[in-house]
Amino acid sequence: MSRFIATSAIRGAHSVIADAEATLKDALQKMGPETPVAFTSTSYFLPVIFGFTGQKITKLGDMPAALQHARSLLPPVPRDNLWLPYLGETLDAGVATLFAEEIIEGIRFAKGQQPEQYNGHKLNGPIDDVQMRSWGIQMVDGRMPGFAAIVGAAKSNEVAVEIVRQLQSRGQLVFLCSQSNGRSIIDQLRESGVDLGYDTFTVTFGTDTYSAVYALGYATRAALSFGNVAAGDIRKILLYNKFRCFAFVLALGQVDDIKYATAAGAINYGFPVIADTVIPNILPSGVTRYAHVVSLPFDDLPGKDDLEKAQRLVQRCVEIRGIKIKIAQVPIPVAYGPAFEGEVVRRENLRIEYGGKGSMCFELLTTKSLDEVEDGKITVVGPEIDAVPDGAKVPLAIVIEVAGRKMQTDFEPVLERQIHHFVNGAEGIQHIGQRDIAWLRFSKSAVNKGFKLKHLGDILHANYHNHFGAIVDKVQITLYSDPEKVKQLMGKARAIYSERNIRTAGLTDEAVDTFYSCSLCQSFAPTHICVINPERVGLCGAYNWLDCRASYEINPTGPNKPVAKGKVIDAAKGEWEGVNKFVYENTQMKTDRFTLYSIMDQPMTTCGCCECVMVLLPECNGFMLVSRDDYGMTPCGMTFTTLMGTVGGGLQTPGMMGVGKYYLLSKKFISSEGGIRRVVWLSKNLKESMEEELKAVCEREGVPDLLDKIGDGSVATTVEDLLPLLEKKGHPALTMAPLI
Amino acid sequence: MPVEIPVEKWAGKVNEVKLGGNGRKSIVIGGETTLPFLKIDGAMPHRPAIAVEVDDVMPADWSPHLIAAWGDALEDPAVWAKKAAEYGADIIALTLDSAHPERGNTGAAEAKKTVEKVLAAVDLPVIIIGPDVAEKDNEVLIAASSVGRGQRLALGNCVDKNYRSVAAACIADGHVAIAKTPIDINLAKQLNILICDIGLAPDAILMDPTTGGLGYGIEYTYSVMERLRLAALIGDKMTSMPMICNVGEESWRQKEARATSGVPATWGDHQERALAWEGITAVSLLNSGADIVVLQHPRTIALIKDAISKLMA
Ligand code: SF4
Repeated sequence: MSRFIATSAIRGAHSVIADAEATLKDALQKMGPETPVAFTSTSYFLPVIFGFTGQKITKLGDMPAALQHARSLLPPVPRDNLWLPYLGETLDAGVATLFAEEIIEGIRFAKGQQPEQYNGHKLNGPIDDVQMRSWGIQMVDGRMPGFAAIVGAAKSNEVAVEIVRQLQSRGQLVFLCSQSNGRSIIDQLRESGVDLGYDTFTVTFGTDTYSAVYALGYATRAALSFGNVAAGDIRKILLYNKFRCFAFVLALGQVDDIKYATAAGAINYGFPVIADTVIPNILPSGVTRYAHVVSLPFDDLPGKDDLEKAQRLVQRCVEIRGIKIKIAQVPIPVAYGPAFEGEVVRRENLRIEYGGKGSMCFELLTTKSLDEVEDGKITVVGPEIDAVPDGAKVPLAIVIEVAGRKMQTDFEPVLERQIHHFVNGAEGIQHIGQRDIAWLRFSKSAVNKGFKLKHLGDILHANYHNHFGAIVDKVQITLYSDPEKVKQLMGKARAIYSERNIRTAGLTDEAVDTFYSCSLCQSFAPTHICVINPERVGLCGAYNWLDCRASYEINPTGPNKPVAKGKVIDAAKGEWEGVNKFVYENTQMKTDRFTLYSIMDQPMTTCGCCECVMVLLPECNGFMLVSRDDYGMTPCGMTFTTLMGTVGGGLQTPGMMGVGKYYLLSKKFISSEGGIRRVVWLSKNLKESMEEELKAVCEREGVPDLLDKIGDGSVATTVEDLLPLLEKKGHPALTMAPLI
Repeated sequence: MPVEIPVEKWAGKVNEVKLGGNGRKSIVIGGETTLPFLKIDGAMPHRPAIAVEVDDVMPADWSPHLIAAWGDALEDPAVWAKKAAEYGADIIALTLDSAHPERGNTGAAEAKKTVEKVLAAVDLPVIIIGPDVAEKDNEVLIAASSVGRGQRLALGNCVDKNYRSVAAACIADGHVAIAKTPIDINLAKQLNILICDIGLAPDAILMDPTTGGLGYGIEYTYSVMERLRLAALIGDKMTSMPMICNVGEESWRQKEARATSGVPATWGDHQERALAWEGITAVSLLNSGADIVVLQHPRTIALIKDAISKLMA
């Protein structure tokens, strides 16, 4: 806590309370305690006081009690030799200030002096309930993030207009009040001919700082109407605003004691204060979600002129409050939507291709810190499409840099993999592959409509915000079409890919204390649940542990939930208390135990969409593994499809289970039964497509020639045929401990 | 020989949801601690309710039997609602169909007027259903919400595309949201979670799991509803909302209820067949856990009333 701010705010609070006391005394004498007091069309009385205390002020005579309460909150002005942090006291002083200001405004209402008449115009004053409710709905449904309470006056009229325009374009409500050096932003906007009123989301409160209390009255009422909160339950009111009302205070021009005091009141609501002058910063989070007070001296802001600085100022305010951006429409010259995802760009219609055989193309998404990324910046390095002849093949690097308070490097590959899906949504653009085997084809029709390389950036920017807004705050994209550059960066990208591979390989079950669940398949197999650990993918093969973790961060109410491992019950079989508990509660109490490394004892349930099914072949003392795309007969006497009818649907069947094919490569692959040594039969297509990886695993497990000893559909489709082969080749399963 | 009947003890309870009040008749639904009508295992404190559909425009494609049964009342939602009350409706389900972009594209102002009129005409609890186009739903439901402030209407449909606005209006004006999802237990649960997350109280939510008519997917609806109810009884708070089923519309639009010619003689009298279609659909869904059935034909109202009484006895 800044000592300077604390002192100023507390001093300011003393002066506002003294003013309120004198004003109230005078009003009581002249008008009497029965004089009614009411803000414009509201059923929330003086809303800040009502919210904090539940007290319903309807007449002057109700006010002394509230003011006394304010006085009691007031800490003494810190002495010069006091160096302790003052956060709590300053916040209390802020609350006291709001009470006093609301009382003064209430008295002004009683005297008929509110809403204020100013320069021949009537200002709006407090917002009525009907409008509050209508905006409140927009705030809850996300169309309107919150409000900006602007206090003071901007550097110039142009700057004032630009700030307000920038805020309006983000759907932010703009409240206007107070002045600085005798000028108010209200004057500035009026002189520039800006329409002020409910219709343009701009509300004039008053020309002194006291009227800023109307902003907090609005926030209080929003919480009372939409937060299921009762008056007097102030903790909930403040928390509601902290987490749901994306408001902030923007102090333009010099900040005096009363502004500090009022700002301290606003901070109670979780609203940060940003000033365009030099004041001390209070950066750590706490009462606000991020910084409390941030100084952004206007002339020091980046930008070539004042207008750019104004844009930058608003952009920073939005970041500081943590307002998320949604982009309703992807700004590109071709149609965009899931309908175009499957589209193929054929040779006749091909205008240009990036990557593919004989060329280079890669995509890389990395994390940077918040101030290293300029949101929405899209740069093309190298020739744009118009500079390239028809049908040309050009190298390309798509480099995406994201920043976000909740972003983690582990999410990079998850986000990177989305490029395929995002880019394919554009009509006439085809994307294939990922990482350094990416390949893009642009059609003539798309390019004729004006599609350029830079539009890839627009697509990615919009989609990352819309789909990953929970973890990504800023996105910038650089598209390199300069062959030298691409070559140069390729090495760096490959180093990062291999780092990621190593990291994924090194991610073990022991290294984490949380697994993730997936309940996506419950829509057709209601008692099925997948528990996904770092060393085992979901049985459909589509979700690994990192995917689930990212998905949970992005959408906490979605299908992936964290599962705390809890106490270990059996390390060898992979059984944990936490997992069992979770499984029980999430399988309609049908399954109460799950082992993660065993197929014989309480294996995982199986739904309908597994990549492979594993089945015990008792005669062979091992297991066969058949993949979904193997249509042939298998040694257990059933095809894949028939097997699915037996094991699917959320059942737990010892000796049978569905698995993702990459589970075969895991160190935890049925480790409790002996791992890959137990595999006696494997679908031929799997054997072939995963040959390299499988060989490496056999090597690792100390049975380098195992793959040759495993049967497949081309040599045996019955146990009678399989067994002699295994014996002939000396398959290790035959001599292992009996499974039954 | 005495037979011991096995008794299932459930941990969960369906939420009790109140509609109406504040000068209007009120009704409470839900509250079950057992499967439908299975009183051995637990209690079913409230009768399932009958809502009767009233449209703000003369329905263009209704069966002649429905048109004959309601007569001129179809031309004025207020008269229609009154008549429905006389026939024994517990709730009026007013559909603002004219707001559909292809059926009139009326807006907030018209919706306000219609809702005011119907609220003035009857003192029963009222459900307001939008035209089933998310943006238009928002427009007319928010208008209806402010007109009916404090009267605890039920507003639908609240779907994944517009749930925030409808839920916000319900919070602001004290109404109940009808959360509608396409026959999927996960989606139903997720929508409930999202709505609660916004701040609407769980006892201000009804679920519409989407209903298929008899012969048109009713078995699928049945099992989704049954599973939702089982989950609620096991103790899942996010599936514990009472359920509402749009029986009338789904039944009357099927071939069996519509076809007057070109069908086998064994199908019998057209009107009786159509009524049976609506009646059987309703009874089936009541047995799978429906707490409100929305009906269309006056005779079905009487029939289902009687059926509910017998099932509750
Ligand atoms: S099989 Fe795949 S989609 Fe289905 S629950 Fe498991 S991980 Fe999720």
